Amino acid sequence: MINHVRLKRIKSLRFYSLIIFMFFWLSNIKAQTEIVLKGKVTDKTGIVLPSVSIVESGTENGVTTDFNGNFTITISKPPSSLVFRYLGFKSKIIKVTKSETLTVVLNEDVSSLDEIVVVGYGTARKSDLTGALSSVDSKSFEKTPLTSAVQAIQGRASGVQVTQTSGAPGGGFKVRVRGANSFGSGNEPLYVIDGVFVNNIDDINVNDIKSFEILKDASSTAIYGSFGANGVVLISTKSGKKGKAKVEINSFTKISNVTKRLPLMSALQFAEGVNFAEGSEFYDMTTLEALRLNGGEDWHSRIFRSGSTFNTQVSISGGSENTDYLISANFNDEEGSIINQEFKRYSFRTNLNTKLSKNTKIGIRASVNHQELKGSRANVEDGLTWDPTTPAFNEEGIYNIEPLIQGVGNGEDNVLISPENNIRETNQTRLSLNGYLNTKIFNNFTFNASGSIDHRLVDVNRFTPFIINPNGFALVRNDKETRFQQTNRLTYKYADDNDKHDFKVDLIQETFYRKDARTDATATNFVSEQNTYKNFELAEDHIVENSSSDRSINSFIGRINYSFLDRYLVTASYRADGASVLSKENRWSYFPSASIAWKVSNEEFLKDNETINSLKLRIGYGETGTQSISPRGTIEKPVVNRDLFYPFSGDNYTIGIAPTNRLANPNLTWEITKQLNTGIDVGLFNSKATLSLDYYQKNTTGILLDVDLDPVGGTTKQAVNAGEMQNNGFDISLGLSVFENDDWNISSSFNVTTVKSEVISLIDGKDVLRLGNDDYGNFAGQPTEVRVGQSMSSFIGYVFEGVWQNEQEIIDAGFNSATVKPGHARYQDQLTVDTDGDGIFDAGDGVITSDDITTIGSGLPDLTWGMNWDINYKKFNLNLAFTGSQGNDIFNLMRSRMMGLGAKQFHAVHSDYLNRWSPTNPSSIPNDRDTTKQLSSQFIEDGSYTALKNASFGYTLDSEELGNSFLSSLRLYVNAENLFIITNYSGFDPETTATGNSDLDLGIDINTHPLNRSFTFGVKATF
Amino acid sequence: MKFNNVKILFFLLATSSLFITCKDLEEDFSSVFLFNEIKTDGDIKAALAPIYRLTKDIYKNPHATRIMTFGSDDITTWNAGNKAPFRVFDKFEYGDGQNSDLRADWYAVLWNDGYRIIYFSNNLINELKKIEQNPASIIADAEARFFRAYFYFNLVRSFGNLPIILDDTDLSVKPTRATVLENYMHIEADLIAAAAGLPLPSEAGVGRVSSSTAKAVLADLYLTWGGWPVKDNSKYELAAKVSKEVIDLGYHQLLNINELWKKESQNSSEALFSVQYSETENLLNVWPTAFTTHKGRGFSDVFAEIKFFEDFPAGPRKDATFRTDIPQRGVSSDTGKMIDKNPATIPWENSQRKHPLYEKFLKSEVYDFNRPRSYRAIEIIRYAEVLLIYAEAQTRVGQNAAAIEALNQVKRRAAGLAFQSIAPGVDVSSASIDEIIAEKGWELAGEGKRWFDLVRTEKVAEVAMNRSDKEQNKITNIPTSKHFIVPIPLTSLLLGDYVQNPEGFKIK
Repeated sequence: MINHVRLKRIKSLRFYSLIIFMFFWLSNIKAQTEIVLKGKVTDKTGIVLPSVSIVESGTENGVTTDFNGNFTITISKPPSSLVFRYLGFKSKIIKVTKSETLTVVLNEDVSSLDEIVVVGYGTARKSDLTGALSSVDSKSFEKTPLTSAVQAIQGRASGVQVTQTSGAPGGGFKVRVRGANSFGSGNEPLYVIDGVFVNNIDDINVNDIKSFEILKDASSTAIYGSFGANGVVLISTKSGKKGKAKVEINSFTKISNVTKRLPLMSALQFAEGVNFAEGSEFYDMTTLEALRLNGGEDWHSRIFRSGSTFNTQVSISGGSENTDYLISANFNDEEGSIINQEFKRYSFRTNLNTKLSKNTKIGIRASVNHQELKGSRANVEDGLTWDPTTPAFNEEGIYNIEPLIQGVGNGEDNVLISPENNIRETNQTRLSLNGYLNTKIFNNFTFNASGSIDHRLVDVNRFTPFIINPNGFALVRNDKETRFQQTNRLTYKYADDNDKHDFKVDLIQETFYRKDARTDATATNFVSEQNTYKNFELAEDHIVENSSSDRSINSFIGRINYSFLDRYLVTASYRADGASVLSKENRWSYFPSASIAWKVSNEEFLKDNETINSLKLRIGYGETGTQSISPRGTIEKPVVNRDLFYPFSGDNYTIGIAPTNRLANPNLTWEITKQLNTGIDVGLFNSKATLSLDYYQKNTTGILLDVDLDPVGGTTKQAVNAGEMQNNGFDISLGLSVFENDDWNISSSFNVTTVKSEVISLIDGKDVLRLGNDDYGNFAGQPTEVRVGQSMSSFIGYVFEGVWQNEQEIIDAGFNSATVKPGHARYQDQLTVDTDGDGIFDAGDGVITSDDITTIGSGLPDLTWGMNWDINYKKFNLNLAFTGSQGNDIFNLMRSRMMGLGAKQFHAVHSDYLNRWSPTNPSSIPNDRDTTKQLSSQFIEDGSYTALKNASFGYTLDSEELGNSFLSSLRLYVNAENLFIITNYSGFDPETTATGNSDLDLGIDINTHPLNRSFTFGVKATF
Repeated sequence: MKFNNVKILFFLLATSSLFITCKDLEEDFSSVFLFNEIKTDGDIKAALAPIYRLTKDIYKNPHATRIMTFGSDDITTWNAGNKAPFRVFDKFEYGDGQNSDLRADWYAVLWNDGYRIIYFSNNLINELKKIEQNPASIIADAEARFFRAYFYFNLVRSFGNLPIILDDTDLSVKPTRATVLENYMHIEADLIAAAAGLPLPSEAGVGRVSSSTAKAVLADLYLTWGGWPVKDNSKYELAAKVSKEVIDLGYHQLLNINELWKKESQNSSEALFSVQYSETENLLNVWPTAFTTHKGRGFSDVFAEIKFFEDFPAGPRKDATFRTDIPQRGVSSDTGKMIDKNPATIPWENSQRKHPLYEKFLKSEVYDFNRPRSYRAIEIIRYAEVLLIYAEAQTRVGQNAAAIEALNQVKRRAAGLAFQSIAPGVDVSSASIDEIIAEKGWELAGEGKRWFDLVRTEKVAEVAMNRSDKEQNKITNIPTSKHFIVPIPLTSLLLGDYVQNPEGFKIK
């Protein structure tokens, strides 16, 4: 029966088209005045556009371009005009009077108000959004050669702070959406790639990404419930477009060097400094004279080198009537600018979509990524502070393992030994597969089912050779992570006939499951190091350990979108999450949200306003959580590990089992972030200028603290929901189409993010907790604390007031001149004594002790900003991306160590030491090591900066210039990264930090991998 | 409804099991070890292992274990480099509550791990109550009580009166500091129970504590009880009685002084308790590194004080105690192992740190690594100490021949003679308390005992004033009783409800 119906339809179609054809043919013969227009439609870069609709204005006469962008149209009554329309491009009207061949260039539509954006579990028209969302389209970053996906949003989205915490190959970006919510758990946003939750996007090929949508406020993220509190970064990958196969090849090569060297003393100056500090002749006159002549070792040049990157991308995409495809491959090879690291990444992706019928579509997205990080990197901190008087190698070319004069510099071994000899490899393979089925069941119902498997294998291989550990040591570690996610969504849509009411309801059920397993094998006492970690048989002692865990979450979600007269918009959602990591009694948690928007510009009084073409006010509220509790976080369990084993008779271990080291907390639940957002979106002069401004306030309560317990109880930690903090701030983004004519097109965007964060309460009424890292190796004391009333990462230390200049000053200030000497550091003696008994401290105690430690700064910036310029002149393109930060401090612990301070450092290497105090040089640089504190405002510096992150300049040759070549376009470009960084900060750079992703220890500078200044040359060819 | 939709609906129904995938929300505990109750002897040993292991860890780094005893006259530290936390105590820069925030991995080791051992012991004692008594459980209970008492004793001597936690770990009601006397009383009760429950030294396994160990610590407790701060003279008699019981057992011996510190001599009958290391398990004793200068590939943590060295009576014991030819070493670029330089040693007076080193902890060092290391077990309590506790305690209640014999046994061995044979010229016929305490200082030099003798006899200031002019670490404050105990570490101050020393120090 079906066949019969179809056949009938086809037959009748054929019949009608024959009639129409004949009609046109006949009319052609008759009308002698008609003209014929032929031509080609392309975009600015010369790429042909298929399926462009071309209609003779005021008639029904129309054609579309073919696969090669060609068209032919006949006009019966010239003069007339042709209207060219293509989705995502500005329509163009061309007047025609005679037969001719046209080349029509369509410009992309920047107004973007009606663009479709991805939101949580669906899509929406941008103009219909009621929440806060930043969108970054691939168009804005595809001209910049990127190697990491996160780089693409740095400085391009308001409310999103991206910091490069390390210049290491393959590394280190930190992303925060509207600041960090919590001092207790991680503040990483949730990443969702094509609907699939992932941990990070480090291994994603940036060239596969079509757009980023960053959901910022809780009314948009509450639909992600216990995953949503830190913002959600939605990533959509590219799909093929209907048309013939398009092949793109993009290849670039990059040279990188650290942006700066630190000021070091010469070897001679260092030696004189050692003699001064020790008060004895460590270096005699002969040695000093020799150092004067030969200059010593240049550790900067030993540690740093020119890094390089080579990146190639190939993609093939296209589609037929029902099926589209994209296949891409990328190879990235980086060599770090510090010896001795190398990073390689191979990425493959296939995206396929096909229509099974008019109402049903299915698709699959598969990606495989493999990355390899090889080698270990030289310890910059130990290296630069080691000993400039000892050459790295002796006359025979063998390492000088320790300083020629023992006990100078620091106590470490020659830092070249480790990176040049240790074997360190980390390989990661990730297979990710997700598929969907989308079908319209009835007129108003759509069902969408999707499922994914994400499988990650990491193996770590290490070998420490005899030169470092005379017994040899090997580790082989395998980590396996498997995630399953299944989402079913039923959507009901209703719009009444006169467009008054627009109604959409989503019902969603989702399951998320994750399983982790680890196996660790170590071996030592190797008889030979020939096979490194690859042959454990050569080792006498082996240890194997393994562990595994899992977690699952079931969720039920509902959402309603309602629009009245396209002026008043309401969105409300509700999510229930049941989680295995929570105890049975406490398993389910609920996350509501609601938001409304008013499209003022659709009201009668603004409808035809020439200046304001769009104006929308938004307000929303929602509650969200974070996945901060680890499996088995709520229970007590015995501790079994080798640190508790004991060789009772000095021989083999007896296995030790100790009682729990944690106290259970069955009431544990998610931290809850409640966020209120108000925003305004304005479009002026036909959207030539757009402005979005949002103000938000977030309160996070029940902050998950792994609190230290009083050691007298024996257990060390307990996870509790305590603490509250508040963030508020503005996100502002401004877009400007500065100038546009046939030759020029200049556009700019600017965004500002402010975050003011304040700790409201901690636990048990305490005003201070030390939660940050307390071990910086060389450091005696913790540089940060969490204090009520401050931002979560406040620097603490003594307030440095220069140097005691003379004995009288010391006596006048009430200090003991027997122990405090001129030349010693002077610190503020805090008021800790109550002299008049009124209960208020009004005097210092005359000695500098730990009670004089106070808050001396904060690593949290007042605002961060990004600015982008896209300047096109004919086929030249200049793209500039600036980023900046204002009002943050940096604790320059690197400098403190270079000044000879700290547990591992014996002598100064920094050139500031030359200016140390002496009776004849009354400077403010202390001359005594032991009385100078590392934890002091002497080492706090302003970390504000402005950087030109990326500047790229390119020229595009189109098919005409390329002649009859099979190429359709060719772009040549150069790019500079970190061309300049304007800052008063004296360290390597103000952006990298010792603590990577931590929000508790922002702005700690010690042993970072500094940023690189890189220059890139690249070619992009399209076939 | 169009037919197509019916078809899809049917398809969805048929494959609905694929779409409806709610997970069971129970966590998988199959890989988690859950230790429900102690059943076998193996379980008991597994529960004891962490207690011994942590004891070993506390003694692992001599600088951390004895940081609060640097004011003693037998040890000092490098006057520069990273040793500032030790110098705080060497120079008496504490006593008014300051410096509680010294780096926790050095300063708070005894506090944190001592209380963890107490927690492990409390837990084991509780678990054992749940099962039927058997020989192994009785010994285990006594062992747990011994360690609980031993660490309370060390903590109370170092930090002053402590919060007493003897059963569960529920700290919802925050503990407060009991008095020193209350601390002594529960330590005494535990040690009496331990002495009764533990096997004789001849029957205890290698490396395990015995009734002798418990009695030795009990005797030490009574001796301390008689002195500062409680000063209850009646306890000296008990100290004498309990230490005499160990002597009368006849099991323990004093080794030849030239043999004592060799690797082969570990776990001898002179050792009442030692912490164990293991070559098999690659568990290293790092004392040789701590007690060696940087030029000898060490860390310059602890040296002998010059005055103490100069006053030390010459003889075989002095030679066995100190190293005066200071090693000069490097690292081989071929093997990565430590090697001697030429010359291999230089006299201590000209050496890098200008101090003699403690030979007793260096004797067993090996060159298998890039720093000096050892596998030798470390004695925590030696028989010589028991003899000297008895000599002092008995002298305090009435000197007798047995007390003098105990002292003479130590002196004979120090002279390189057999300890039980009368030795004219070495033996004395009477001795003052001060002489016995001085002898104890020489005998146990560098072993972490001297400081506590100086404190209980209130001689800290006297010896501190006597410090050699050659010492570069000069005293900042003249020590008073404020310096006899050290500040409570910052972590507990922040998290608990304690009054810092000296205000929080309560004796009775």
